[in-house]
Amino acid sequence: MADKVTPERIAAIAAAARVSIPETSPPRITNATAAVILRMAEENIQLAMEVEPATFFVVAREGAKK
Amino acid sequence: MSNPALLSLSDMAARIRARKLSSVEATKALLARIETWQPKLNAFVCVDAEEALQAAQAADDDLARSGPKGPLHGVPMAHKDMYYFKGKPAGCGSKIRDGWIAPETSTVISRLQDAGAIRLGALHMAEFAYGPTGHNAHLGPARNPWDVARITGGSSSGSGAAVAARLTPAALGSDTGGSIRLPAHFCGVTGLKTSYGRVSRANAMPLSFTLDTVGPLAQTAEDCALIAETIFGADPLDPVTAGMPGWDREAAQRPVRGLKVGIPKSFYVDDLTPDVAAAFDKAIKTFEKLGAQIVSVELPDQTLVSAAALLVLAVEAASYHAPWLRTRAEDYTPQVRNRLENGLAYSAIEYLETLRWRGPALAAHVAAIGDVDLVLAPASREVAPRIDETDFGGGGNAEQMVVAVTRFMRPVNFLGLPVLVVPAGHSAAGLPIGLQLIGRPYGDETVIAFGRAFQQATDAHLRVPELMRDAA
Repeated sequence: MADKVTPERIAAIAAAARVSIPETSPPRITNATAAVILRMAEENIQLAMEVEPATFFVVAREGAKK
Repeated sequence: MSNPALLSLSDMAARIRARKLSSVEATKALLARIETWQPKLNAFVCVDAEEALQAAQAADDDLARSGPKGPLHGVPMAHKDMYYFKGKPAGCGSKIRDGWIAPETSTVISRLQDAGAIRLGALHMAEFAYGPTGHNAHLGPARNPWDVARITGGSSSGSGAAVAARLTPAALGSDTGGSIRLPAHFCGVTGLKTSYGRVSRANAMPLSFTLDTVGPLAQTAEDCALIAETIFGADPLDPVTAGMPGWDREAAQRPVRGLKVGIPKSFYVDDLTPDVAAAFDKAIKTFEKLGAQIVSVELPDQTLVSAAALLVLAVEAASYHAPWLRTRAEDYTPQVRNRLENGLAYSAIEYLETLRWRGPALAAHVAAIGDVDLVLAPASREVAPRIDETDFGGGGNAEQMVVAVTRFMRPVNFLGLPVLVVPAGHSAAGLPIGLQLIGRPYGDETVIAFGRAFQQATDAHLRVPELMRDAA
């Protein structure tokens, strides 16, 4: 995961999503999301290839048991 | 009981079923109270007085003719203005949906109606449920019945305020990042954030399909159980409920003696204000007296789980709102528009990697708690802050404020766990303090069992805000 999000990247994602944002938004968003981006990047989470989002339900059902 | 509006949901429902109280009497009492307090609290966005009285009369007639329709026969209730009633407006706290008429009824509302409940009106909420304080620039802020200069918490702001002020005996809220638990804590009521997947979200306004949950706010755990019994279970209209069991009444009434309560060693106990720390310590002693085993638990890094929750929420909310961001961006309030735009920071790969991590993150949590039945944690470091201290509009400090207010909320949403918030005391200034009873995966009945036991041994949930007492 990236450890920094640039205003340029945000502008590119917004353009790809066809969402028009004010010129002031990319630097503001960079600042607002910096802590989340940094925290996720610091951890450098490693996932097995077989893990998918719905794996959550398998874990939850197993975790319900004591 | 001189004023039926003060009854708990369970008591009101039992009295109506037993024909000791008519639905019309209960409805009139609540409408009178709403008329008095709505101008001060701004808890409702609409009150359907005439329709409610007609429904109450019909409920009384039906009861006399053929007995109760269900456990909530003739009980008047209002819910967060994001639960759709076919043919009724559901503004979702927004300008964009102002006047929008719902084409269908939410599954949870249908289930409450099938149990006999009737509609009083609709409750205030943060714009599109995307705010933790109760601020809403379109509607004005909802105000806390314990001190109208303070926030209710959000986004189920009207639900918290209306239950605390006894304007409705119970109300549905929704919890994506604390939106049931914060109003329960700040307003001094009991709130159940349900396990992800056990209650249908069909035909309710979405915010984040990975994190959204539906649940009640009410005076007691017993009341939350009564609602849960009605709304839990699989719904063909909501795929994440597939295969989920209904409510297990017996499990929700089990004794807590011998069960294990985990006390976090860090994060949830860091930097608490003295009032909250004292209420937390007292609650631990109460559970000890109730025969629970108290153990320490070292939870995985909750700041990482919180960051994951924020990332997923930001992207999913931006995705839902992309059509309006393209065409009606100026119709959002600045704070909500800014928060929606924040979802444009993350790439598809980053989003999906975070979603894929949800299962492993839950596995780490389950491993950390071992055989613990319940983790006890404060809902917030502090009691309700003032409205003017937290209203930043779209200003630069807004995101920091949001993160601070929701600090103890987000991990549970990412992990999909059930939580009951119970009133556990009051600050020196008389403001309520709530604690989170965090269950194992799908352990909704267990958190209710602990809440019931706690409320049988304590009385913080019985206190009515000072402002309200004159009218009691």
